Amino acid sequence: MELLAAVVLVVVLLGLLASGLWVAVSLIGVAAIGVAAFAGAPVGRVLASSLWSASSQWALAALPMFIWMGEILFRSRLSDDLFEGLAPWMARLPGRLVHVNIVGCGLFAAVSGSSAATCATVGKMALPELARRGYDERLTIGTLAGSGTLGLLIPPSIILIVYGVAIEESIARLFVAGVIPGIVLMALFMGYVAAWSWLHPDRVPPPEPPVPLIRRLIGARRLIPVMALIIGVIGSIYTGLASPTDAAAVGVALALVISWASGSLTWATFRDSLMGATRTSCMIAFILGGAAFLTTAMGFTGIPRALAEWIGAMGLSPGLLLAVLTVFFIALGCFLDGISVVVLTTAVILPMVEAAGIDRIWFGIYLVLVVEMSQITPPVGFNLFVLQGLTGKNILTIAKAALPFFCLMIVAVVLLVAFPGLATWLPQQMAAR
Amino acid sequence: MTGGWARRTLDRLYAGSGVVAAAFLVAIFAVVLAQVVLNTLDAALSVVTGAPLGLLLPSYAEFAGYFLAASTFFALAYTFRSGSHIRVTLLVRNLPPGARRVAEVWCCAAGAVLAGIATLTAGRLTWESWSYGDVSYGLVPIPIFLPQIAMTVGLGLLTIAFVDSGLAAARGGTLPSDGEDD
Repeated sequence: MELLAAVVLVVVLLGLLASGLWVAVSLIGVAAIGVAAFAGAPVGRVLASSLWSASSQWALAALPMFIWMGEILFRSRLSDDLFEGLAPWMARLPGRLVHVNIVGCGLFAAVSGSSAATCATVGKMALPELARRGYDERLTIGTLAGSGTLGLLIPPSIILIVYGVAIEESIARLFVAGVIPGIVLMALFMGYVAAWSWLHPDRVPPPEPPVPLIRRLIGARRLIPVMALIIGVIGSIYTGLASPTDAAAVGVALALVISWASGSLTWATFRDSLMGATRTSCMIAFILGGAAFLTTAMGFTGIPRALAEWIGAMGLSPGLLLAVLTVFFIALGCFLDGISVVVLTTAVILPMVEAAGIDRIWFGIYLVLVVEMSQITPPVGFNLFVLQGLTGKNILTIAKAALPFFCLMIVAVVLLVAFPGLATWLPQQMAAR
Repeated sequence: MTGGWARRTLDRLYAGSGVVAAAFLVAIFAVVLAQVVLNTLDAALSVVTGAPLGLLLPSYAEFAGYFLAASTFFALAYTFRSGSHIRVTLLVRNLPPGARRVAEVWCCAAGAVLAGIATLTAGRLTWESWSYGDVSYGLVPIPIFLPQIAMTVGLGLLTIAFVDSGLAAARGGTLPSDGEDD
């Protein structure tokens, strides 16, 4: 009975989404149908209280603050500073300035929670500069598409806030858990670029005249404000000095100061960043509200429990279950954005995952990594859209350039499954304090 | 209809609610930052005086949560009209114009019905909170119906925006952009 209901509701949900109905509204619609048809509980009372309790949480207040901080920095001179400050240091590595894309994305990811913003900020400056110096265009675009996804993994991460709020898990722990996998992913990308350049020496432009150490240090001075911001925000969360919401508000203040000091803070940039943050945060919070209603509705129907028992009865090993889920998420991610995938997961799949004995924090990091891959798969991949806007190239060309990085992310998922400590070790150190 | 007073009034309503929502985001920022500054001062002073003074903004976490709810709900209609709510346009975008119009009207109609139901139930919840005199648990007893009014009004504005856009789509207009043109 529950399985039949589950199939009906999945078909209804996919139908609503495909018809173009807004994601949050589709979630509310399918949940209302689920409650009315399969549970017989009063729809209205559940709807209002779910929407209310999901949207008035202290922990969720970190969301608009981190979005706003990213919006301010996106409109500052940070893009130039990252390129100018990093480029001289990367010139000696095999692959040279292509590494600026990866490291620049990693740094911007640590002050922004969105992968599209990360991709756009670094790409804005690096794409024309690298093209001018004759770097291979496919490699440049591919590294940007791939490294842009670091925005979701390296804290602060919008998607980990959504996951944490939806499953009522500590956002601070989730943030800390993302640090090491983010660094591993950067190392994989940089290793690939180095290997590629070593195999294709003819397609790497000649080295530029070396920059003396003192000049490099002077250039790196421009990175000091953003490094201070990263250490301040992540450090205060890790040491427990501040909750993510506190750290985010301080982050907004520091971002305003950085933007003001570099002369890019005007009334127009302030207003645009604030209104942009208002829209994005409203969009995400509305989806979370819809998802909270869906989660409650699913609880009434008993579907998640039935699914969990069904999967449990099949006796899948956690490894096999994860393999199946990975394929499922990548397929879903081809058509849905990451946040929608995450909220659907928490509403329906999490009980099944917990029944298989998988850690919630570890699963959050795994989920983000898999959802990141969906950011660079056509037809719907936000990083691809961003790079399409920046380069004017066909989306399939961009997707092809991103393919090696998609494969590297699969390697990262395998590493994460093989060595779960990559995600769980650092938060445990935090607990020991 | 376009350019008439109704159009201008509605557009001002959406834009105005967006500004109110943004003001609530600034309020979250102000409250949380003030608390962090007080905490830091407290820590600094306790080094001098030997004991923390317990400087704090009462119920700041509750205030931040309620401001967030107010911001989210007030921004709903504005966000919708600027095309920022996410939807899957893959199919709709590739329909012939006639079928596409039907699909757009369906989306707005379904949106209006669901948002309408949500408005009514939110209104009832707000009424109940008011008549039972529900207050928050923190140091400052905040009447819960106050922020819930924001939820009801915001959902009501979203319902109006859905009806408004649905009527425009039925007359052959386009829905707020979905990012497909950028």
